[in-house]
Amino acid sequence: MKRKVADNKSAVLVCTCGKQLQLDYELIKNAVSKMKLAASVTVHDLVCQEEGLAKISELVDKHGGRVVIAACTNQKIQPRIDEQLELNGKGSTQLQYVNIREHSAWVHENQEEATRKAIDMIRGVLARSAGSTPRQVEKKNIPSHVTVVGGGIAGIEAALSLSNLGYEVTLIELEEELGGHVILLPVVAPTGKSGKEILTGRLDALQKNKGINVMTKTRVKFVEGEMGSFIVHYTTDENENEKTIETSAIVMATGFREFKPTMMDEYRYGKNPDVLTQFELSCMLSEGALARPSDGEEVKDIVMVQCVGSRDEEYKRDCSKLCCTFAIDNSLSIIEKVPDAKIRVIYMDIRVPFEHEMIYKESRDKGVDYIRGRISRVWETDGKTRVQFYDSLLNQYFEVTPDLVVLSSAILPPEGTRELSETLGYLVEDDGHIKELYGKLRRNETRRRGVIAVGGVTRPQFVFEAVTDAQAGALMLHTELQGGSIEGVARGAVLNVDDCVGCSLCAQQCPRGVPLMIEQTDKEEEDEEQKFIFIASIDTLLCHACGVCQSLCPTGATQLNFLTNEQLWSEIEATLEGAGPDYPITLCFYCEECSVSTIDIVGTRKMNYPASTRLIPVPCAGRVSIIDILKALESGASTVMIAACETDRCHIGGTGNEIAQVQVDVAREILTAIGWKGERVDMFRMFSAEPERFTTAINEMVKRSKELGPTPVHQGTSGKWMEASK
Amino acid sequence: MSDVATEKSMAPKRQRMMDMVLFIGGLKEESAIPPSKVNEEIENLKRDVTPLTESILEFPDAYLAEFIGVAQRTRMVEQIHNPSVLPEAVASLESALTKIDSEAVSGLLVLLRNSLNRTESTDEAPEGGVAGDIEAILNPLPELISKIDSTIGEYEETARSNAEAATIKLTSLIDTLENLTSDMESDADATLDGFQKLGAKTRYGPFLRAAAQLKRGKREGRIDDELFLQLLTANLLTELRRGVIMFILNKVGSRTVPQLGELIKTHPSEVQKVIVSMFERGEVEMVGLDGDSPIFARVMTDTPGTTLVLKQIIQQLRGMLGSLDESLRTSTESMLGALDRHLERLVLLGAYEEASLAETLNELRESTDSATEAVLSSPTSDTSEELQLLVSAGLEAFTRFRLKIALEKGPNLVSDTNVYGEKLDPEVYKTMMNSYLDNELERGTMLILIRELGAMSAKDLAEKTKIPQDRIFSHLLRMKRDELLLLAGEEHGYVLYDVPRTLSEAEIATKTVSDLAFQLASARIELESVLGDFKAENIGKLATSLETFSKARDKLEKVTVKGSVIAESVLKGVEDKVRSAVAMTYRTRAKLPSTRSKVTIEELMDVDVPSVLEEYRSQMGYAPLLGFGTIEWEQSKCLGCKSCEIDCPEDAIELKPVIDVQEFFELSEESMKNLPVNKALFYQTVRNLATKKPVKRIRLANEAPGFGTIEVDLWLCVGCRTCVRRCPGPENGALELVLKWNLPEVVKQITSET
Repeated sequence: MKRKVADNKSAVLVCTCGKQLQLDYELIKNAVSKMKLAASVTVHDLVCQEEGLAKISELVDKHGGRVVIAACTNQKIQPRIDEQLELNGKGSTQLQYVNIREHSAWVHENQEEATRKAIDMIRGVLARSAGSTPRQVEKKNIPSHVTVVGGGIAGIEAALSLSNLGYEVTLIELEEELGGHVILLPVVAPTGKSGKEILTGRLDALQKNKGINVMTKTRVKFVEGEMGSFIVHYTTDENENEKTIETSAIVMATGFREFKPTMMDEYRYGKNPDVLTQFELSCMLSEGALARPSDGEEVKDIVMVQCVGSRDEEYKRDCSKLCCTFAIDNSLSIIEKVPDAKIRVIYMDIRVPFEHEMIYKESRDKGVDYIRGRISRVWETDGKTRVQFYDSLLNQYFEVTPDLVVLSSAILPPEGTRELSETLGYLVEDDGHIKELYGKLRRNETRRRGVIAVGGVTRPQFVFEAVTDAQAGALMLHTELQGGSIEGVARGAVLNVDDCVGCSLCAQQCPRGVPLMIEQTDKEEEDEEQKFIFIASIDTLLCHACGVCQSLCPTGATQLNFLTNEQLWSEIEATLEGAGPDYPITLCFYCEECSVSTIDIVGTRKMNYPASTRLIPVPCAGRVSIIDILKALESGASTVMIAACETDRCHIGGTGNEIAQVQVDVAREILTAIGWKGERVDMFRMFSAEPERFTTAINEMVKRSKELGPTPVHQGTSGKWMEASK
Repeated sequence: MSDVATEKSMAPKRQRMMDMVLFIGGLKEESAIPPSKVNEEIENLKRDVTPLTESILEFPDAYLAEFIGVAQRTRMVEQIHNPSVLPEAVASLESALTKIDSEAVSGLLVLLRNSLNRTESTDEAPEGGVAGDIEAILNPLPELISKIDSTIGEYEETARSNAEAATIKLTSLIDTLENLTSDMESDADATLDGFQKLGAKTRYGPFLRAAAQLKRGKREGRIDDELFLQLLTANLLTELRRGVIMFILNKVGSRTVPQLGELIKTHPSEVQKVIVSMFERGEVEMVGLDGDSPIFARVMTDTPGTTLVLKQIIQQLRGMLGSLDESLRTSTESMLGALDRHLERLVLLGAYEEASLAETLNELRESTDSATEAVLSSPTSDTSEELQLLVSAGLEAFTRFRLKIALEKGPNLVSDTNVYGEKLDPEVYKTMMNSYLDNELERGTMLILIRELGAMSAKDLAEKTKIPQDRIFSHLLRMKRDELLLLAGEEHGYVLYDVPRTLSEAEIATKTVSDLAFQLASARIELESVLGDFKAENIGKLATSLETFSKARDKLEKVTVKGSVIAESVLKGVEDKVRSAVAMTYRTRAKLPSTRSKVTIEELMDVDVPSVLEEYRSQMGYAPLLGFGTIEWEQSKCLGCKSCEIDCPEDAIELKPVIDVQEFFELSEESMKNLPVNKALFYQTVRNLATKKPVKRIRLANEAPGFGTIEVDLWLCVGCRTCVRRCPGPENGALELVLKWNLPEVVKQITSET
């Protein structure tokens, strides 16, 4: 089948970086001017400075926006150029960049080879540019309404922040009262204030705020729809019938759940009324009713047990982070009320972060006894609670008769997190907390667009952490929702509905759940085969532009509007023009997340690697399909590699890199089966803090290209399978 | 523990399909023997059997004629009370008459039909004086109870005398064992032989297997002498002891551990150790206590119906206690005490000859039922039938204790707290009790209906009670688990449930005779046709029809009316003839190869499912399962999108991470053109690159979106076509439902998974 190849010409602007780059510019100019897709070639010394920017403006005008800029990394230069063009009222969506500095001049010793590489890559990007189309600003209005699930400190804070940003907010709380756990804390370290005091101002603000609709005794059942048009189904205690709210985004602030250790027989919790959890003691203290639950007598002697259920293989493996501080808070409140109270805290390790160390010190000064060891058992004699514990520092067993035994039990994710994940689409970690999109850079966001998670539901958090988390989450949503009128250059996947066959691969694999499959019931009626007919629907404004859908689409119905299949394929072909066995070429597709930073750092550090390499950027490794890989080999590449983000660190949503891995794995298997060497294709994980990952990877691929020798394409044996099988 | 057997058997759907496969054509091939030899054998058989057949064919009618006479004389038919016996018997006889003409059969049919018409017309009339005087109703009870006492006494006497006989055998057994164990080491092989001889007497499976294994292991040199001795003196001896214990429990009766120790002359601790495993194996169970020692008995697969009925009568009476006045209550309580003891004795007995107890128990049951009704109907005069049914349902539920306990304990939970300080929310209690009462009342209604109208299916019950069928179903399961209901066969594919019933002598006689009349009618036709066309192919039919006659004769010998066997001389006269005819036929058959048509798996490839189903249904009366076929998949049209797997309601279809690369090279220009462009481009690019055609399929370590091979599990596929309809592949998609059943595939799956 013959492809229609775009032949629009582009202007090429080559930068010398202040005459600093060791490249043969004469040769570049000569070579590029001979390329049929180059409208003109300009060599400039400082493209990033004013006169350079003016030159770009001029070229944009002259060539209808099609300009190829061969300079330093676009990570650095592009924002500046975009800004400048925007100031002048010009579109920048068709500009293409070739990095001849970090990706060539700075990393190759041999000037001739580096120049050759730069020329090849310019030729490639010219082909990409030829197929580019201008992208428009698009607008979309959505309800300026957000639903916050959970009325604890994080939920309240998120609601207030969002309201201040101009959103209507519905705050849904399961219990009768707002305030969650915090409102029942007698004192919150390190403020010294009670939970009530901390919340009063916020609760007042909530009451006064007409933009926030508070619904208590309400339970979210499930959620339908997508960002901008979620429908939350809920029931209330009064009314069993399901009702719905339409909303644009959802904040999960469902907090945490304290572990109730009834199944741990050694503590007698649930059997002896004088055995409490730390939070139950907090409630008792904040109500001002410190007394023995069994007989109402005063409390003089208390044993607190740390790490009940936490750091325990059977219950919660890791540290619950908050319990040490809670225990100290409660100890200090008790001493305030009963100065001669005897408090023993039996611990494995005391872990108090930040300035909580101060209150730990204070408690020691006030006589709280810290015993490193474990409880052996709790039992009752003559109506008294007996505790035996082991002091590991003294290597001795003790028996005491406390009035209360307080268990600092583990902090667990709230109930219902997994159930809601089924319709809300966020991922849940192994420990049951909501998984954030990317721990370092995309905190609070979840896998699903328009659903964020703040506060204890993502991990145990102190009060002040939950507050900042909620504020951050609110801002994060604001950048997505933009106050209800989303406006921007639509950069992402565009679906050609006529080509869609409804296979749903895009909907199954999109890391952010953007494509929706819509059943065409009216068409089904006409169909004689009684087919179920589905067509995808993609909202480009919601798209993160990773290209996974494009890579998997069997019909090419969905394509990124800035990097169509045709664009990439002609770039591959053009870049590899003349690639042969004498100078074996390694082609590297790299993602514009972790990989671009890693490769740029390799450049700035001037770490050397062979120049027989050609680099092609893709928004995410998931954009590279098996066809792209095979095309590269078909066009003469000796080896092909993909540079992608580290496992679990895909910046686009967690799975783009794994989709790429599948393409590579399958390509290797198929190549081996059809008489090639599978090792000609490979994938490597990049990490910008370790630039040597890239040099190691590319050295390996270059080595393979030499060792494996000419490919069947070079030898002319490819495609000759029929002859071979005879 | 009784579930052990069912776990091992095939799943019902699989079993039915397996049956069908075997039916369509035996899969075994046997070597042929020369036809001349076959003919010779057949001639011999014909010569020997034909003279016997005349009297064999005649005996059923002769028997029936005498049976009718006796039945009329003893007015046996009037003693039939079980509602299902007469209609079933009439139905059997009617079907028998569709096959053959027989004066005797139609005579019996007339007799039973008349009686059935009579009972049906009387059924309509209200039973007078149900309310009655409770005291009067309960009056005959003591007498019945003492009757039961003496019947059980007889049982125990029989059991004792059986036990005595067994004890003599046991003593010799134990003596031999002692002799053997006194010196096991000097000649271990002889000891093993001795053990095996003893084992043959106890017939204890695990021992027999273990001994055989040990012997083989020794013979094949896998077990050295030292290990052999060790296994012999420890493991095998233990198994043998278990065999002896089973022998005791089977033949001598239930025993405690010390008693067992005494009997087998072993220390009780040893017995204890040995019996634990038997407990785990589900061979023995505890049935009572003697002082502090548990009494063990062998596990029976079924508890005798009469035991269950007695258990229910006791519950019913106990439920009634509260509604009785002082004196009546005391007397009823003492009766209950006696019944409790009797029940215990029956449980200890395990299995026994039920028939002699049935009559008395049925009378007791009727009295108890009337008493229950009397208790119920005394205060009100509301005639609304539905209300009465509801109230009786309530009472029925009440007698089963569950309701009573809930009513007694519930209020306490609301007003007080339990030991944990928990309290029941009154609202929760209310809804709980409402649904609980609903459940219990519905179950009560169902029980009453089943008891009155005979075995019913969930569908019948739903129609009668207007309760949704799914609720009915869950009630049925619950009551089945509680042993309130038993499975009573199938009707139009629905399972029938019945209360435990015991048939009286008259009922048993009627049922057995009419069932056999039907079976014999079919057997007679078959036998006659086979005799008319005496060929090797028909020898199987000959054997089964003769066997039917023989078995029917044996059964009739056990049928009694008023304690005596009918037409004994007829039965005795034919006994030897029919037995030798069966034996001769089997002997000949064993010398001949299979007469089934030989079908190879390959030949099953194109079996047309609808026609096979039709054929099967016409011969077997039912078809295995509707709605199946074979899903066929064409890789060239598959996009690997997994939509079929995602949408399949039965999880029967799966995209496996296997790529058939070879197929990429087989695609025609035409199908390439029809494929979505990128899929086609992919195949084209692979072809462009290939230097050779692949030979193997690629197995991927992980799932790969867009790639794979479709596999359909024919056991799970219900042929709903969802996958076919969902497939977005070119033209009509990659999947097609073919109304052929891929038998080889199915056979492969059956054999691989069972």
